[in-house]
Amino acid sequence: MSDFGDDGDVGGEEPMYEDEEPFDEELDPEVPQGEDGDVNRRGEEEEENVVISGDPSAAANRTKSTTKTEKDMKIPNEDRATTPYMTKYERARILGTRALQISMNAPVLVDIEGESDPLQIAIKELRAKKIPLIVRRYLPDGYYEDWSVEELLQ
Amino acid sequence: MFFLMGLERRVTLHPSYFGKNMHELVTGKLLKDVEGTCTGNYYVIQVMDTFEISEGRILPGSGLAEFTVAYRAVVWRPFKGETIDAIVVSVNQHGFFAEAGPLRVFVSTHLIPQDVNYDPNATPPQFTNNEDTTIEINTQVRVKIIGTRAEVGDILAIGSIKEDYLGTLQS
Repeated sequence: MSDFGDDGDVGGEEPMYEDEEPFDEELDPEVPQGEDGDVNRRGEEEEENVVISGDPSAAANRTKSTTKTEKDMKIPNEDRATTPYMTKYERARILGTRALQISMNAPVLVDIEGESDPLQIAIKELRAKKIPLIVRRYLPDGYYEDWSVEELLQ
Repeated sequence: MFFLMGLERRVTLHPSYFGKNMHELVTGKLLKDVEGTCTGNYYVIQVMDTFEISEGRILPGSGLAEFTVAYRAVVWRPFKGETIDAIVVSVNQHGFFAEAGPLRVFVSTHLIPQDVNYDPNATPPQFTNNEDTTIEINTQVRVKIIGTRAEVGDILAIGSIKEDYLGTLQS
């Protein structure tokens, strides 16, 4: 019941406060202080209105768990077993993807030296090991290994 | 009623935006895409924060990067039986439309007290009982939601003022 009493008090004081505020501003230019009080008061009021239902962080974890299963399928970098060489298929896809991105105005990471063909620029980037892509090799059991283009041998 | 809701969304980023401040761009695009939209059940009022932005995934064929963003948003879901304050936007002989933020509420003449009648001769047209209640455009009213219907990208609600403490608000 004391909660109700509190509410009444806050409600009762509210109009008085608002009446006083303009006078404060006219008399002394300490506006920031008045604003602070205003913000604090509003904060308290809002807290009273908030009802905590459910658990937002738990809900967040729930959505996270779906992606986590995907993350759980990753083989740690030190346990990777596939070839360290870039296959010709990976090379083709990397160059194709990167050339497409460059053609769509992606920032180029090498000196283009007047070159204007996106595929040639992509080849140049690959030679300089500057392509910012990661190859995800899926294995038949659904696990995958991540190899950055930089570390793949050619 | 307002809720704080954890949501997830996939945001794609064009290659020309690749660079150092990609996370800010992704957050900005999320705000632009999500804030103010309606999913059919609720309105997304504001995104509070993004607490996880996944690694980018290149979409095969298009070269765009896709990020999965988990975020917390303030959402508003109008419930049946909820009482809300609204502003009248149009009045006609069948009732009146009021807006409570993004939500449009229709109050039919059946759900307006018997003594409050439509007066087409007034300018602008109004509902009035020739005493304290006058409902015209821009009047503030307190309505109770009787039912809601989800439409594509919007919610339509039916309201009532035929109960105690509902109707015009004294300003």
